[in-house]
Amino acid sequence: MQGLSFQDLILRLQQFWSARGCMLEYPMDLEVGAGTMHPSTFLRVLGPEPWRVAYVQPSRRPADGRYGDNPFRLGKHYQFQVILKPSPLDVQDLYLDSLRALGLDLSRHDIRFEEDNWESPTLGAWGVGWQVLLDGMEITQFTYFQQAGGIDLKPVSAEITYGLERLTMFLARKSSVFDIEWGAGASYGPVRKQEEYEFSKYYFEQASVGLHWKLFEQYEEEARRCLGLDEPLVLPAYDWTLKCSHVFNTLDARGAISVTERVGVIKRVRDLALGCARTYLEARRKLGFPLLSDVRREAISLDVAGSGR
Amino acid sequence: MMQEYFFELLTEEIPAWMLPHAGLRDQLLALCAEELGVEDESSVSIGATSRRMYFALHSLPEKQTDRTEEVKGPPKRAAYDAEGKPTAALNGFLKKNNAAVADLLESSDDYIRVKRVIAGKSTANILEVRIPQIIEGLRWPKMMHWGDETFTFIRPVHSVISLLNGEVLTLHLLGTQSGRVTVGHRTLSSGPITVSSFADYKEKLRQSKVVISESERESMMRERCGQLAAEVNGTPNEDSSIWSQWRYLTEYPGVVRATFRDEYLSLPEEVLITVMRVHQKQLPIMAGKHLTSSFLAVMDNEGDPDGNAAIGNAFVTNARFADARFFYETDRRRKLAERDQELSHLQFQEKLGDYLVKSLRIEKLARLIGQSAGIDPAAAAVAGRLSKADLVTEMVKEFTDLQGQVGGIYLREEGQPPEVWKAVYDHYLPVSLDGALPRTIEGAIVSLADKADTLAGFFLVGIRPSGSKDPFGLRRAAQGAVQILLNDQLWTLRADVTSLVSSALSQYDRTGGPEVESALLDFVAERVRTVLETERFGLAYDEIAAAMASGWTASLPDLAQRAQAVREIRREKDFLSLLDSAKRISNITAGSEESLLRPELFEHPSEKRLNDLTAIVADQIEELTGDRRYLEALRSFAGLAPELETFFNDVMVMVEDESVKRNRLALLRRVGGLASKIADVTKIVVDRSDYR
Repeated sequence: MQGLSFQDLILRLQQFWSARGCMLEYPMDLEVGAGTMHPSTFLRVLGPEPWRVAYVQPSRRPADGRYGDNPFRLGKHYQFQVILKPSPLDVQDLYLDSLRALGLDLSRHDIRFEEDNWESPTLGAWGVGWQVLLDGMEITQFTYFQQAGGIDLKPVSAEITYGLERLTMFLARKSSVFDIEWGAGASYGPVRKQEEYEFSKYYFEQASVGLHWKLFEQYEEEARRCLGLDEPLVLPAYDWTLKCSHVFNTLDARGAISVTERVGVIKRVRDLALGCARTYLEARRKLGFPLLSDVRREAISLDVAGSGR
Repeated sequence: MMQEYFFELLTEEIPAWMLPHAGLRDQLLALCAEELGVEDESSVSIGATSRRMYFALHSLPEKQTDRTEEVKGPPKRAAYDAEGKPTAALNGFLKKNNAAVADLLESSDDYIRVKRVIAGKSTANILEVRIPQIIEGLRWPKMMHWGDETFTFIRPVHSVISLLNGEVLTLHLLGTQSGRVTVGHRTLSSGPITVSSFADYKEKLRQSKVVISESERESMMRERCGQLAAEVNGTPNEDSSIWSQWRYLTEYPGVVRATFRDEYLSLPEEVLITVMRVHQKQLPIMAGKHLTSSFLAVMDNEGDPDGNAAIGNAFVTNARFADARFFYETDRRRKLAERDQELSHLQFQEKLGDYLVKSLRIEKLARLIGQSAGIDPAAAAVAGRLSKADLVTEMVKEFTDLQGQVGGIYLREEGQPPEVWKAVYDHYLPVSLDGALPRTIEGAIVSLADKADTLAGFFLVGIRPSGSKDPFGLRRAAQGAVQILLNDQLWTLRADVTSLVSSALSQYDRTGGPEVESALLDFVAERVRTVLETERFGLAYDEIAAAMASGWTASLPDLAQRAQAVREIRREKDFLSLLDSAKRISNITAGSEESLLRPELFEHPSEKRLNDLTAIVADQIEELTGDRRYLEALRSFAGLAPELETFFNDVMVMVEDESVKRNRLALLRRVGGLASKIADVTKIVVDRSDYR
């Protein structure tokens, strides 16, 4: 256990969740703030189709950058994301088993589930759940999604988000994130510190405010255009929405958004996210919810016909 | 035979602050009392851990007692025919109620009545219907859906135990069917636990490392905290809010001691303590008055054999402190006075502008308050101007409950004098009825200015608290202002409430007219009553009303003294005669016109005596009132009572001769007005038996 590297941890989690019926996905290839924004979460939790997926997501949060000076905080960190839809009743036990799979003897640790509800104003999404505290340290965010893109979710998905650096640090007893072993003998610092420094410098001091506002407008316009087409292109629209969101985070870190402006800009991103959610659900419906079993599909289409929706 | 019912609901972790679900206990007590005839409070045992709620109902009957009730039938005249035989109407009624003519009751009215016995339902029957209703009907602050289910609860439900005298009483609720099986501690036990009774449950769960009683968990934790702190020669920095959280955070009440890096002790102590207490729910350990680098944290485990919990807690606290230091260092690159631009972007209220203009108003108001109280207002004005600057610091953005304190700390470090930094530090005080007041008079001035400005602004734009709704904390603001104005220890801030209110209103461009001013004064008056009724002043509502009737806005400490004098005098045995006289005067003079007192019109010696005595008492009262010796002044007033009684016995006031009558009324008005600057004693409500 003491020797588990960053990549070993990822491999073990992938193996564990793969063995429990999760499809292994890959990271979203755009800048996102969290694994939740990956279409494999935000879009897939909508509608009736079942979905079990696990993936790593590099998550960029410009305002969290600390120039590589803070041993605990990063502008970009890696999340391991699991979505179980519908949420199974034994999801907490599954989760605890995943910790055991990492070599933890839980009877010799303190493990607690402390209330921590999640809400994303930019995604029009919220859920209830906990932060999981291992020996007082937050290692996982655990959420039962109730709404995404302003749409009530049924069934409800369980989202498990592991903070990979924290977990590795703690398991390896390192007091700085830059000291953990990534794998193959390389440690995290030499691999990532330059990036932390340069992006902190960029987001806090150098990012061109004018350019980013311009980008925001253009991305927003393109997202709207994709959604407004006769045959809406929701997945491209969602890409542009994610870009808007990242540009917003950049401007925010740069201190370029006043308190009064902030609410308005968040609303613009949310409107896009809401549009994407609605359009995606409609597109899946037209496709006949391809991931549903035939039995479920029949039950649901009857349900839909019956309710007159 | 008496029965016992036992119930357990096993869920996923319920937020600690929502437990215990007080509503449940009340509903169970009501169920026992109303439907099972068990009134005893001890018939309900109830408790919760982080992931289970349980209760036992004791001394239940086997069934409800049978009830009889009278059933009203047809009118008597329609019950028998001319020959005195039962009519079809009567027969139908009897048949329906399974009764015969012989069962008819004597009734005094015109209707036929019969007694009907309603068999009591069995306890099992009642419980199987009512328990699911009660549990499913619990309303939590935030409900959730899970899986594919249609119902909601606070967290997903795993299992239900429902036992009546050890037998499973089958219930269906929240998607589960009840049984007799539960589980123990998540990580310290394994396998199912089969339960036969409440006593068995307690015992078996204890073996499975679950201490089900919250009070027992709390006392185990408290004891452990004391021990662990003593080991490092310290004491836990306790506050009661910690325990109400800790007792519901775990199933086993463990505590661990950890240590953060000494280097963080150079950060302001307030910041460290807030991070630990509020953000980490940890208990700092103090050595005397100073913070040590050791602290205590809750843990859902019996022990920490490998030191994991100690390391983990240290890790996370160090991380938090590293962040705090980042904010601290970032903030200190710029003085607080250089943050006007950001303040102008921070909205105070939509219609009332930003925090920069609020700061300017506070500055002006602080100066006015200081001047009229005869205090050099320079420091308070500077503090007022800077009071809101910390709202745009990184530290307060992250740790909002440190507003004010952070500003004070930063100003201290910028080299501002104590009168300035302490005033900013304390200007949100007091935060509750028994909360601490600002340490300095400058702090009191800034706090008062801030609160008066907030109240004036919100009243001007028509936002006022209604019922239980007070989203902007206006009641608390007014209450805080009143507490400051009433204070007479350390410092006294003399201020006239009327002029304070009108100054605060005049800082705004918009005007609200006299209606706003009087509404705001009424609002403050209401808070004055609230504060004076608290334990600290211990005044009764009628004592306060009596004193306020003589005016209240000029000086609140004076008002409190006058009310206190009323409180004293009412306990004295002569009070009843004083009250009777005052009431009599007030009744008899009500509605009469003012007129000049003319001694030459006195006819009776009693009139003259009363007049002479009144003159003497008036002088006394004036002198005593000037010295604020209100109790003695009231006593002097009470001394007139015997003479007044003689007067009323000897002299008829409402005589025919209009000029004599008016003169007597003038005399009485003079007597009645003697204490008018102190209190209107007629407002006092007495229980006459107290004076016998």
